[in-house]
Amino acid sequence: MMDRSVDETELLAWLDGELEESEAARVAQIVSADPALSERAEAHRRLQARFAAAFDPIAATPIVEKPVLRVAPVLSLAAARAERAAKVVRPPRRWALPGALAASLVVGLLIGHGFGMPTGVADRPGALALSKPIAQALDAQLSGEAGPVRVALSFRDRSGNFCRSFTATYVAGVACRDRADWALRYAAPGAPEKQGAYRMAGDDSGSAQVVAAMIVGDPLNSVAERAARMRGWR
Amino acid sequence: MDGPEETFEQALASHLPRLRRFAHGLARDAADADDLTQRTAERALRSRDQWQPGTRFDSWTYRIMRNLWIDTARSRQRRDKVLAPAEFGDTVGALGDAESQMELHYLMRAMNRLPAEQREAVALVMLEGLAYAEAAHVLDVPIGTLTSRLVRGRQALMILLAGTQA
Repeated sequence: MMDRSVDETELLAWLDGELEESEAARVAQIVSADPALSERAEAHRRLQARFAAAFDPIAATPIVEKPVLRVAPVLSLAAARAERAAKVVRPPRRWALPGALAASLVVGLLIGHGFGMPTGVADRPGALALSKPIAQALDAQLSGEAGPVRVALSFRDRSGNFCRSFTATYVAGVACRDRADWALRYAAPGAPEKQGAYRMAGDDSGSAQVVAAMIVGDPLNSVAERAARMRGWR
Repeated sequence: MDGPEETFEQALASHLPRLRRFAHGLARDAADADDLTQRTAERALRSRDQWQPGTRFDSWTYRIMRNLWIDTARSRQRRDKVLAPAEFGDTVGALGDAESQMELHYLMRAMNRLPAEQREAVALVMLEGLAYAEAAHVLDVPIGTLTSRLVRGRQALMILLAGTQA
């Protein structure tokens, strides 16, 4: 039973642990007795080890969730309302999955390469704080006022915090005021080429859904907005 | 919060890093690999009803990724026909902090020289450590077919990488 030689397929199956015990023992014996086969086996082991060294760090790098939705800003109150009303009678969209993990997984993975050059949103307190110009606009501007940042809509969320949807040049989204600052809840890349041109909320039902899912009560009218602004949105 | 929903998401989340490694074995560069990982996660979440509890979750997600990759590769092939292929080997000898990244890049390019059916076989078995039977199942081919692709793929890599060292 010892005298068959070993071909490349068998050699690899042996290295991969695919052979049954007796077969493996037979191959091991033939290989160890044959310098050329031994060298070939070593070469395959080196190849495997080289790939493992380069690729295994990827599998060891955790992937964190990035809570960023690709949605357009909600600019139409009626559409947001209609979306919410429609939600009552319609089964949830298939991508509207239960669980925080699913929600964030479906909208984006922030992948760390582990080769320096950190990119994207960091996992730390205040990671979703907004830049000064956007935060100032959210503090000061009433909905619909023109400017580099335009605020579309103000409302309260379930925690009673004020939230506002906005469009800037490169980013659009929804931010809420918690304690001291405006923090991003949802964001999407802006469309600079469409600068100044409002997209209708109806263009993207997902955007309406974001506000529709968060809003408690009605959006603020201009009187309520002025009052909220005077109290510093707290 | 208990129940199959959470189990599914946890399974997916914990399997993602390995899926991403598989993506690097298939895709032509790191950006494409991450894009493929993202799309696979989305597709898995949308298709969760199609996963049968009791079957191997990792095989199911590998299969999703592989099918997405095949679709992308096909459409890209048509588009890239007019472009000259980059010279293989132009990164040899790169040194410095990015050395490990260069080595990964280099090996990815070697993988990219393999025909798709050899590349996926090598990625599943050599990178992901799947048993032959499991890899054959993911690729939906007989085990003999898987084995011969695997052997040819590894032989080709051996030749491509001969004389270069990590």
